[in-house]
Amino acid sequence: MKTLFRIAWKLAPVGLVLAGVVSTANGQGARLQIDQLDSLANKASETVDVRLDERLMLSAVRIFDKDKDDAEIRDLLKGLKGIYVKSFTFEKEGEYSQAEVDTVLSQLRGSAWSKIVSVRSRKGSDNVEVYLMMQGDQIEGLAVISAEPKELTVVNIVGPVNLEKLSKLEGQFGVPDLGIEQVKPKKNR
Amino acid sequence: MKTRIAISGLIVAVFVCAPVSHPFARGDDFETVVKMIEQFYHVKHQSIPFLARAGMKAAKTAARIRGGDYRRLAEAGSVRVAFFEDQEFNSRGRMAGFKAAMKTTLEQDWSALVQTLAPKDEEQNYIYLRAAGQKFHVLIVTIDRREATVVQATIAPDVLAKLLKDPNEMGKTLTQDATTSDP
Repeated sequence: MKTLFRIAWKLAPVGLVLAGVVSTANGQGARLQIDQLDSLANKASETVDVRLDERLMLSAVRIFDKDKDDAEIRDLLKGLKGIYVKSFTFEKEGEYSQAEVDTVLSQLRGSAWSKIVSVRSRKGSDNVEVYLMMQGDQIEGLAVISAEPKELTVVNIVGPVNLEKLSKLEGQFGVPDLGIEQVKPKKNR
Repeated sequence: MKTRIAISGLIVAVFVCAPVSHPFARGDDFETVVKMIEQFYHVKHQSIPFLARAGMKAAKTAARIRGGDYRRLAEAGSVRVAFFEDQEFNSRGRMAGFKAAMKTTLEQDWSALVQTLAPKDEEQNYIYLRAAGQKFHVLIVTIDRREATVVQATIAPDVLAKLLKDPNEMGKTLTQDATTSDP
């Protein structure tokens, strides 16, 4: 018994570290690594980098909690763990490579993420891809990649996003206006 | 005896290392950022004479928001401003490096809300936030080709709400208010 206790005592720190790693991994599952795109800032004519991290999201929910007029925003933000946006505008075409876009896309392919066709851009662009991370019925995160010839934008929302109200975030909280809308399925006649 | 000396030494060390109670005392990031700009761009900031500062509006007192209404944006007496006027800000293609340096300096205590860079025009804007009890500290850095401004202020939650909704516009308003004299 004493030996068991001694072994358990020795292994406790390892267990704690592992538990920490697992809980971090779960919480950050939908968070994409997009900082590698920062090197594009030197080539871009304009770079916008928005980060509403978990600390800020908690403050935001608290703030909007007090204002009745902001009820919709509060509902939208509730449960979100972060909003991250990187947008690069270039003067000429071809200033960024597919390899650079792939550093983000590779995180979305063959993983818990799935590309959704029920959400598209009102702007009619084929270069906007929307991905969702699901855990059962619950949305864990959303990623939007808009790769236009002279503009590259990545939006990553971590947490349960309300797809129907997603457009309300556009133009606010640093989220660019991508014209995202949910496509309702056509009824069969 | 040794124990007593050790305890006395510990007490002295605690007092020597104890943080000063000041709204911006969690490491003077304002000064650090100002020095960082000076070293990166080889420029010098100008300090504002006390009397001139007393006449400044907004940040300390009130701000004119479109339509002429006055509203408090920053808490009275909470604003620190550093100007860099009529100097050359040339990042020599290393603007991303400056952004990375800002991140390294501030990321432990602050959340980077918005960072915008326009290398061609040598324009950069940074808005960092951190909680300060029931209020918030905001650190706004604006750099363009010939001038730069660093503003740190304490803001109330309702001002933060506006800042979160429209970071760029509100960041500009806060900076303008902190650097414009009363008419």
